[in-house]
Amino acid sequence: MARVKLSEYKAKQLLLGSEYRGVQLRSGEKMEIPKGKWVAKVDQGVKKRMKQGLVAVNKPRTELQAKIREWEKKGFSQFVLEPYLAHEPSEEQYFSLERVREGIRMLHAREGGIDIEAHPEAVQTYIVHSLTDAAKIAQRSGLPEAFLRAMLEAFERNFFAFLEINPLVIRGSEAHLLDAAVLVDSAGEFFVGTSDRPGWTERDVVKTKMSHRAEEAVASLASTTPASLKLTVLNQNGSLFLLLSGGGGSIVIADEAKLLGAGAELGNYGEYSGGPSREETYLYAKEVIKLMLDAKPGSAQGGSASGRRALVIAGGIANFTDVRSTFLGIIDALAGVAATMRMHGVKVFVRRGGPNEREGLALMRDFLEKEGLFGTVHGSDSEITSAMREAVTFVRV
Amino acid sequence: MTGKRAPSVVGVITAARKAQKFFFGPREVLIPCYKDFAHVPSLQGRRVRWLLNAQSGRRTLESTSAFFKAFPRALGAHLFAENVPEKHATELIKRFGGKYLIAGPSGVGVLVAGSLKLGAIGGTDAAQIDAGRLATRGSVAVISTSGGMTNELIRAVVRAGKRVSFSLSIGGDRFPVTSLTEVLRLAEADQETKAIAYFGELGGVDEYEIVEMLRSKKLSKPIVCYIAGVIDEAFDEHMQFGHAKALVARQDESARAKRQALGDAGASVPETFDEFIRALELLPLAAVHDIVTDVTTYMERRPSILTTRKVVDLDSVPRFVKNKKLVKQSDNAFPAATLRALLGKEVDPVTAACAGNIFELLIDHGGHVSGAVNTMITARAGKDMVSSLAAGLLTVGPRFGGAVNDAALAWHEGVREGSRAADFVEARTKKGALLAGIGHRKYRIGIPDPRVEALAEFTTLLKKHPHYDFARQVESVTTGKNGNLILNIDGTIAAILLDIFAEKEKMSAEELGELLDAEFFNALFIIPRSVGFIAHFLEQKKNDEGLFRLPDDLLFERDNDENK
Repeated sequence: MARVKLSEYKAKQLLLGSEYRGVQLRSGEKMEIPKGKWVAKVDQGVKKRMKQGLVAVNKPRTELQAKIREWEKKGFSQFVLEPYLAHEPSEEQYFSLERVREGIRMLHAREGGIDIEAHPEAVQTYIVHSLTDAAKIAQRSGLPEAFLRAMLEAFERNFFAFLEINPLVIRGSEAHLLDAAVLVDSAGEFFVGTSDRPGWTERDVVKTKMSHRAEEAVASLASTTPASLKLTVLNQNGSLFLLLSGGGGSIVIADEAKLLGAGAELGNYGEYSGGPSREETYLYAKEVIKLMLDAKPGSAQGGSASGRRALVIAGGIANFTDVRSTFLGIIDALAGVAATMRMHGVKVFVRRGGPNEREGLALMRDFLEKEGLFGTVHGSDSEITSAMREAVTFVRV
Repeated sequence: MTGKRAPSVVGVITAARKAQKFFFGPREVLIPCYKDFAHVPSLQGRRVRWLLNAQSGRRTLESTSAFFKAFPRALGAHLFAENVPEKHATELIKRFGGKYLIAGPSGVGVLVAGSLKLGAIGGTDAAQIDAGRLATRGSVAVISTSGGMTNELIRAVVRAGKRVSFSLSIGGDRFPVTSLTEVLRLAEADQETKAIAYFGELGGVDEYEIVEMLRSKKLSKPIVCYIAGVIDEAFDEHMQFGHAKALVARQDESARAKRQALGDAGASVPETFDEFIRALELLPLAAVHDIVTDVTTYMERRPSILTTRKVVDLDSVPRFVKNKKLVKQSDNAFPAATLRALLGKEVDPVTAACAGNIFELLIDHGGHVSGAVNTMITARAGKDMVSSLAAGLLTVGPRFGGAVNDAALAWHEGVREGSRAADFVEARTKKGALLAGIGHRKYRIGIPDPRVEALAEFTTLLKKHPHYDFARQVESVTTGKNGNLILNIDGTIAAILLDIFAEKEKMSAEELGELLDAEFFNALFIIPRSVGFIAHFLEQKKNDEGLFRLPDDLLFERDNDENK
């Protein structure tokens, strides 16, 4: 459902096949650096690696070992080694492919390198409608046809969404991919790879950021249900924690926090939608509630000055997600920690609409009042942003 | 709720069952299910205009293509799945873009207030549909990238005193099949639409299609836009939000940039959602005439848990005596009434006569047959009529009486597949299967079964009789091996009934297949034989010989270790 980054190692394997001489190194696995001089790079989808010192060019084994240890200390865990290619900056070209509505959009510039963004006028645009266009485009762009064809075929076969090679060095009919970045369409995983030509899997997708334990828990829960469950931890010591529902509605509600100047106080972002069951909603809600209880708002790392925290259970008016059963799941999750929440003075602010709205809201209201957690409970007759507004007011007092 | 008199859903494609029950207004209706598009009967197929595709993202391309191949004259579809690969989405655009109206992939579908609701759009229960006033054709088109926000916007329009003309959830995917531009063109062309409410998000560049249309004056109706995602500014890195497209890849994909561009082009772009709702109130007002529905009757509906039909008309009482005289009945009145109850329709006189003949032939076949023996033994154990009858009936199975349906299955398959009799026999014997409807202990070539001869006369009343012919061809193969392997009474009943049902009752091969699945043809044995069993029961009660016990010399008792 989304475009995700592939490791450079896997991307080049898919693009070049057995010609690729790169070596992948992962922390925690056996790391063997072969003899000779190599280019070593952090391979976790980081942008502007050169400027950040995350590339070591043409260095022998001992130096690379030290370099990798240094990178590991910064929290990186995946690296790639490649043979060094001596070349002139003037040889560097820019090449990218992106899936667009009409087919594949190809961008090419004879002058490339790190400064490509400064020379937009050098970039030529082509639209590839089918693989049969390759010969014509190769001729017009001056790229070797075999190279272009191989890139397009790998792009299609592996459900790529975006491919960028920068710099690209062309010598005669030979192409050298110095740096490559690939975004794949995560929905394509099922279709890629055959028994004799493996594609990519979830394991080849790089994580640009360290995942929080709660994020991992939600991701693994999400992989077992057709419903949509998402969680991103924003500020572990935030004061506003969100149980949002609906892809679009959740952004509107988070926007409201930003518009009220409380964007930095959001502890998390995420949403449940697509009709999760009571049990799935329970497991999801438990993770968010735990995040909230672990937070230390008012600490040095930010959050509200009052030290108060609020749980915002909000969403738009669902088309088919059942308010009653999802709310029962949330109540199940709240019930176990109601006393702790009371101790921390947490209040709960609710706005939701949809199927079985009346019953769902009544259950939630009764529960929150009984447990002394009641902030507000709104239905579809009030504005989608109402609960968030009231929660922001509450934590600010 | 819209005043429609009959459901417009033609069928459900699922392998699971034959029909599914749904509410249509306050009453329930059965909607037929089909295995695939090819199985939709052409008479029904002609009514198909729309597809609601609820398959997974993996299968969406394949099933949508199959639909438009089967129904090229359809108008469009809603593709519900998330996780349709981008490559499949662009393929769908290549094949069907511009030709059909296709909402999705993802999203909640398309709504034309008062006429069409394809998908969950606007809600799934009556209270929601009423609250959104979806039965009333209004003047505001609601277009949204987000499914949930589609409903939120519909309600906001109603709260602002307006009604929705049509609504389409574009879906949060990167490549919606019907593009935003196409939907806006529809809104511009639709005479009833006076204004547009739009919800968009950060990510993607679709909103620049609106900008372009406003600039080139292709869109002249007022449009109010809310572009969500300013929250993204609060993060260090761009975040992937719920929808696939909701990630800012370039500067002009941010919520702020899109708001700016839309505002510059003349759209109304409120800053907050509350201001957005107030902007809706300022849109031109059109007269509103709601269809008033009592929602409580809908909310109190309870689905039934059992479905059946009226087997007999309880209001029409058969009269056999009138004015002190016997009333002349039509021929074979009782078999005709029995088949009417079983099949749910009046049958041809030939069919009724054949059933009458079968019934009379099969009432009994002597006290030696296992069903009759069981009935008698049970009666002598002092049991009641129903128990004794049940004991006899429970004997009916593959070796006793149950062969009629098995034989019918065999003839049906042979004729449907156009098999040669010799191959057919060969294939069955290879599998070690018995041939139902073939073989008799007593009768053989040279000593024909008089019952078979009697029934075979019915073929002279038919134009053609392929099942009977096929059975006879099979017989000529099997009797070549053994003179006892003749077409028996079970096989004859099966073949002749199939031919009569096909010709006189105009049943298709599929309808016959349904009867076979339900073991219908065994009924022709069970009904008359119940009479025979009861006769044997009555006889036992009359004689009252006491408990039956098998004499010692008629039972062979093997020692436990004999087969060691």
